[in-house]
Amino acid sequence: MKLLLKLAWRNIFRNKRRTIIAGIAIGIGLTSLIYVDALFVGMKVSIIKEATASFLGQGQIHRDGYRETQEVDKTINDIDKLVNKLKNDNRIDKFTLRTFSLGMVNSPSNVRPMMLVGIDSEEEKYLSRIDDAILKGSFFKGNNQRDIIIGKKFAEILEVGVGDRIVITVSQAKTEEFSQEMFKVSGIFYFNNPEFDKGIAFIRINKAQKMLNIGNRAHEIALKFKNIDKKNIDKLSFWKEYSQDGNEALSWMKLLPQLKIVFEMTNLSIFIIGLILFAVIALVIINSLFMSIFERMFEFGVLKAVGTGAFNIAKLIILESSSLAILSIGMGIIGGFILTYIYSKTGIDYTGIEMMGVTIQNILYPVIQIRQFITYPIIVFFLTSIIGIYPAIYAAKMSPSEAMRKSL
Amino acid sequence: MNQNEFVIITDSLKKNYKENGIEVKAVRGVNLKIKKREFSAIVGPSGSGKTTLLNLISGLDIPDDGKIWLNNKLLSEMSGKELSDFRRDHIGFIFQAYNLIPVLTVKENIEYIMLLQGVEKKERHKKVLNILREVGLEGMETRVPTKLSGGQQQRVAIARAMVSNPSLILADEPTANLDSKTSGELLNMMRRLNETTGMTFLFSTHDKMIMEKARRVITLKDGLIEKDEIKD
Repeated sequence: MKLLLKLAWRNIFRNKRRTIIAGIAIGIGLTSLIYVDALFVGMKVSIIKEATASFLGQGQIHRDGYRETQEVDKTINDIDKLVNKLKNDNRIDKFTLRTFSLGMVNSPSNVRPMMLVGIDSEEEKYLSRIDDAILKGSFFKGNNQRDIIIGKKFAEILEVGVGDRIVITVSQAKTEEFSQEMFKVSGIFYFNNPEFDKGIAFIRINKAQKMLNIGNRAHEIALKFKNIDKKNIDKLSFWKEYSQDGNEALSWMKLLPQLKIVFEMTNLSIFIIGLILFAVIALVIINSLFMSIFERMFEFGVLKAVGTGAFNIAKLIILESSSLAILSIGMGIIGGFILTYIYSKTGIDYTGIEMMGVTIQNILYPVIQIRQFITYPIIVFFLTSIIGIYPAIYAAKMSPSEAMRKSL
Repeated sequence: MNQNEFVIITDSLKKNYKENGIEVKAVRGVNLKIKKREFSAIVGPSGSGKTTLLNLISGLDIPDDGKIWLNNKLLSEMSGKELSDFRRDHIGFIFQAYNLIPVLTVKENIEYIMLLQGVEKKERHKKVLNILREVGLEGMETRVPTKLSGGQQQRVAIARAMVSNPSLILADEPTANLDSKTSGELLNMMRRLNETTGMTFLFSTHDKMIMEKARRVITLKDGLIEKDEIKD
């Protein structure tokens, strides 16, 4: 075995140019695979971050059935008890209460349906990025109960700016009587998300509760954990513990099921890209090995003549194929690391691109993971070695006299 | 007649093969007996069937008809693996173009067969040094074949063929690529080794020098033995 290994390793350098070209081709395949994987991981991280940090939070609590109907009456049950429980829960980093109601907005020049969201201006800063998205004006400075923040596009539709007044009409809980209030636009935000920018307005939660006549109750609690494994967030016992008394607690994974599909799609994409790359790699290896076999036909004849068994000949070819794999993997790992490292520092600008309702707002950074430098090289190694089986069988089956005759 | 005194016995050996779609009757019923310790040559013009006969004798090719016994073993009764092992243990090959493994050193080339045989490292080393001394290549064990002259490469090939002490050495045109001086030296060396080791040498050749040195010259013509001359 040691001799065959030595022979295989030296054989692949007999035609250095061919080996280097084949090695580079396989190496580029591996580099691409590592890079694409890192890019998709970066994309996932970015999407999760955008989805959870923009407004959603890492989880939410609602009253059972609220998400389906969004009825104003369906406020969270036993909210005081729940708030106290959350305050004392050491897993929770921050949480905030929100109200939601559909309504109409009147400006001097337009009337539009909209979603009125009541937020706790202090706590909301930790759960969402509304304060960071303010373009004009401010995010609930002072204590004016009539401050309202609207999206940039919404402001354009309503033809209003900071300081202008608008009238909001909502229907109250239970009685369904109209409640109408005048607000002053105190801030205009731009989320780069049409759903937010065109149809949502934020007011202080106590004002919203008053308008909706729901006391101190809320429709939603958005929350953020201290330290969690984001991948396994769904496995936390938290969701079960808080899905009681007619309320339901859900992680962002459950709240945005479309993201799971996106991630499955990215996994499928990596698989397809991998498959194409491996098919190319397979052809490169087979071509390289067959060229090498045909050039050394007489030599194989001699090796067989002097008593090298078919199994050892096959082993030699597979070892040559594996040696080529090791060489290529070395190149691929170095290439993959350099390329991914550079982009993980500089990032790729995909800002503004929306995927499944989540708008990428930041530069996308590929994420280097040790797994990429273990899994893919192992796959390339085994695949390359397996591909070597076909030429190996061919060489092993050759009759020695025929091999010596063919090469003449 | 005592069968044990023969290394090779062939009986009505026939072999046809196709070349460019035309069937060539390479060997047409050869009956041959080669005794142990013989130093014999098969001669004849190109296409007379010399190499085919050598290939059949060594089990590299399968005859269409007839039988071959090597060391009293019928080759046709052996499986592919048995034949391969038999060649490894009982036959040494010397080729016209030396056919050393270019990526292995002189030492590694010589010990290749012993490695296949599973000979211990110490024993291999000892045998390699001995045979290198015999063929006059002492101190050259770490060189690669490409750094050697044709004569030196053929000496390595001879060493490789003989190192594991096979009973038969088959040499196909071993001097064809060498000048007459080197050929003469190598032939003298092989004859000396034949005498000292008792190994049987069978050449396939055009070389007059080999014909002169051989103790027996078998002339092939059109796949048949035309003449079988044993010298005193």
